[in-house]
Amino acid sequence: MTTTDLDAGTPARTSAPRGTGTRATRVLGIATVVAMAWLVAFGLGFSPADRDQEESVRILYVHVPTIWIAYLAFVVTAISSGCYLFGRKKSLGFDRVAGASAEIGVVFMAVTLIVGALWGRLTWGVFWQWDARLTTTALLFVTYIGYLAVRRLGGSHHQRAKRSAVLGLLAVLEIPLVHWSVRLWRSLHQEATVLRTDGDISMDGLMLFSLFVGVIAFTLLYVWLLLHRSRTMFLEDLIEDRGLDQALAARRAEAEEVRP
Amino acid sequence: MLVLGGVLVAGGVIVTQFLGSAVDYYCNVDEIGTRSGCDDDRRLRVQGTVEADSVELDRGTTTFVITFNGAELPVRYEGEPGGIFKECLPVVVHGQIVDGTLEGDRVEVKHSEEYEAANEDRLEPDPRCEPGTV
Repeated sequence: MTTTDLDAGTPARTSAPRGTGTRATRVLGIATVVAMAWLVAFGLGFSPADRDQEESVRILYVHVPTIWIAYLAFVVTAISSGCYLFGRKKSLGFDRVAGASAEIGVVFMAVTLIVGALWGRLTWGVFWQWDARLTTTALLFVTYIGYLAVRRLGGSHHQRAKRSAVLGLLAVLEIPLVHWSVRLWRSLHQEATVLRTDGDISMDGLMLFSLFVGVIAFTLLYVWLLLHRSRTMFLEDLIEDRGLDQALAARRAEAEEVRP
Repeated sequence: MLVLGGVLVAGGVIVTQFLGSAVDYYCNVDEIGTRSGCDDDRRLRVQGTVEADSVELDRGTTTFVITFNGAELPVRYEGEPGGIFKECLPVVVHGQIVDGTLEGDRVEVKHSEEYEAANEDRLEPDPRCEPGTV
């Protein structure tokens, strides 16, 4: 990875950047590693076991941050989609940020579901139960896999951007349903501990702090991945455009040859 | 297109599973026979707190009593419940009531949204083992 910046026109031999790293992403990457080390120390070491759940409570420090950041990622997708759709410039940069953010959100959500199933087996006694929270979460997960599939349907970059922006704005409306599903229906999944309206958090102080470390660590990881992924998407678009240009040039050259 | 089709099928399966599961009506112990849908002659999902000193294990069969808002219901379950099953914790039992006893075929332990550090010095009885704390 070289230090070439995407936007700054460095006097390089190629007009395209040779990597997706910048000084900012490297600093961010180091901060992510440090925060993850902190999370391991607090999640597995300093934080206490729970009275009822004992050691299995430590799954919380991955389960909760990953789903919160997945929500954040989908909100970023929606905002970015709106910026593309309603912006005057119709900038494809917004579309790439939307796509990259959704991809990372889906990965984070997969982590939430996997560790959640393990946690469910340990505390509830079952991996899965078709209750309100789990069902709505699964629905949100496949919705965004659908979003990613729509992005790959083909057509021009702007066709892709327009189609997916509409879906990105609609899909985000599912998140409030997932969050309040535990209040709307009777559910095996417990209600919210931290994100509740009465502000009465029933959680041991060190556990809450470990959760906070987890949120910081996964937020940093998200931003780092988002920067790199949206830049590789820019490069992918560039390769596609180049390929099209070359194909057109080849076709024109062919036509020239045929003509006397 | 193939992925998109797969996604639509997956969404449909999820919705039907949820609806199919909702057929086992979710009731609290005190609602059996009173709340509409919680009739005692159908399959139910019953939520209640495991009564202190009520758990007995005899030749692979677990019996215990669950309570909610003062109402009690004896439960018989073939096998040993998994998870963190113990007295004073809220549970959800799937099954059918036969002669006043809930014949459970699935027991799930519900966890509250409260997290507290384990403390080996604590000797006083569990303060949450009171009716209506589910």
